[in-house]
Amino acid sequence: MFLRIVSDSFTRKPRRKILTAAALALGMAVATATLEVSLDVGDRLAREFRSLGANLLVTPASDTLPLEIGGVDYRPVDAGAYLPESDLGKLKTIFWRNNIVGFAPLLDVPVNVAAGNAAKSSREQLIGTWYSHTVTIPDGSRFVTGVSATDPWWRVEGRWFSDGAEEAVAGAGLAQRLGLRAGSSVKIGAGERARTVTITGIVSTGGREDNAVLAPLEIAQDLAGRPGQYRRLLVSALTKPADSFSQRDPATMTPVEYDRWYCSPYISSISLQMRQQLPGVDVRAIRQVAEGEGRILTRVGGLMWLVTIAALFAAALAVGATSATTVLERRSEIGLMKALGASHRAVGAFFAAEQLLLAFVGGVLGYAIGVVLARVLGIGIFGIAPTLRWILFPVVLALAAIVALLGSLAPLARASHADPAPVLRGE
Amino acid sequence: MASLVQVENLEKRFGEVRALDRVSFAIDAGEWIAIMGPSGSGKTSLINILGGLDQPTGGRVVVDGQDISRLGERDLTRYRSEKIGFVFQQFHLVPYLTAVENVMLAQYFHSITDEKEAAEALKRVGLGDRLDHVPAQLSGGEQQRVAIARALINHPKLILADEPTGNLDEANEAVILELLRELHASGHTILVVTHSPAIGNLADRRVELEHGRLARIHVPSIAKD
Repeated sequence: MFLRIVSDSFTRKPRRKILTAAALALGMAVATATLEVSLDVGDRLAREFRSLGANLLVTPASDTLPLEIGGVDYRPVDAGAYLPESDLGKLKTIFWRNNIVGFAPLLDVPVNVAAGNAAKSSREQLIGTWYSHTVTIPDGSRFVTGVSATDPWWRVEGRWFSDGAEEAVAGAGLAQRLGLRAGSSVKIGAGERARTVTITGIVSTGGREDNAVLAPLEIAQDLAGRPGQYRRLLVSALTKPADSFSQRDPATMTPVEYDRWYCSPYISSISLQMRQQLPGVDVRAIRQVAEGEGRILTRVGGLMWLVTIAALFAAALAVGATSATTVLERRSEIGLMKALGASHRAVGAFFAAEQLLLAFVGGVLGYAIGVVLARVLGIGIFGIAPTLRWILFPVVLALAAIVALLGSLAPLARASHADPAPVLRGE
Repeated sequence: MASLVQVENLEKRFGEVRALDRVSFAIDAGEWIAIMGPSGSGKTSLINILGGLDQPTGGRVVVDGQDISRLGERDLTRYRSEKIGFVFQQFHLVPYLTAVENVMLAQYFHSITDEKEAAEALKRVGLGDRLDHVPAQLSGGEQQRVAIARALINHPKLILADEPTGNLDEANEAVILELLRELHASGHTILVVTHSPAIGNLADRRVELEHGRLARIHVPSIAKD
């Protein structure tokens, strides 16, 4: 009897039912699209930000104070501490290993650079690093990383050096001073050691690299007499925007809070995990990038939620209006049910079931429209469609049910608490 | 023998207006009572209270040993489904349900539905060939017979009929009166609110109300015969 009444009631007044389902479908479409995009936007924006440079800097914990002038470390190679290159694969074993999108070890060596056959050399800075280097992870897998991953926006005229070759790229400023161009041969010397490399490109970064020679790490290690070692590591990691919780001292957290913090990709928790894997290192966030990223991600996320809530609220209002009309029209039926012994709950159940059916129809339609909308938005904003997340389907159905029930809450309450006597008298 | 219904000093006020003013009477099991009186005399208030659709302001009403003037909403709901069978002037059938489904609706709110039993109830009121007709396909008299079948389906202690022939022509009125007479003969307790002297004369007693007060209780001569 319950199904008979609900199904019959569901098919009556089709225009109103279509309107209600349409309102729900529109609300759910916007919710689906914004949820799809906002779930993706974090990752995507974070990746976009990662292209702006690394957000973590790893240095030896026992290092001496750097002697930097204009961003160039002028410490002699025998001063300060170094870190073993062989440990770097461990970075991809931390809890948030998949969020480590790239890292590049750096070894600065003060060198004498002589262009071609010129007898005169000048004192310059050599930065040894990886451009696109294959690292073996302890589990046997391989990971390709280097400045190509941490600083993909660095522009190079010509091409980058090949890791393992006698090649280098020259900073734009240095190239101008020394008259270097792609194909030039330069002799780089440090003390007794010297290597001759071919300049394969001229790099512009807007930073200290513009006045340095960038060469494969192995060449810098050889010239510094520090085989297998580096001094600084730039890490690019996808992180969750910093909030008040992420800024708390882990030492003051309860075990539950600590677990939550540790299992969230905060820059602070990733730093800790890196310190645990690379003994003797100090990990610092490059604040400017991290904080700017956090602010923008928070604002974009907030905007998405605002749009979603507004769409759901509008859908709830539309459902409420049509539901109120339905209850008003069916007063006599409600009065009869009550007179026959229907409880508040039984009467409410009829109307709630009808709303849930409408919510199902609206939810399915809304999800389908929302997926298409999300593709359009995703392609428009990021140039790529967001990943289809099936988990959103039940979430959207549940949202539709909540919106339909909340929207019709007042009419439902009025129906279930209707006083049958006046209704049956036709008042 | 204790009365099935005892109405004691029943009062119902709507603000300053006294719809019922210290009304007392009793109904024995199997009795047919007609409540009569002019408009505004308190008939509807009385039937609403007896049917558990409204609560009195004062006094008490005991039906089948249960003081319904003290029942909460949930108990009143159960009281309506278990002890009362309603017949309304406007029939009040659900328009999209068939005759048999309308009868089953009362079963549904009482306990469980039994289509066979509902069909039997309709056959008893002469609608065996109209089981699958919706109200719009039935005449006024047939609709009221569906309502009577619905009122009887849960074997109520008391049948409350509010102007059951008020919307019917003479021919259909005669059919309904015959049905009520049969119900009375088979031992049902019936309380009918009516303006019709014909129905009043068929009842065992006529309870006449005026301005919310019990004016008189009349025993029609036809009933004595």
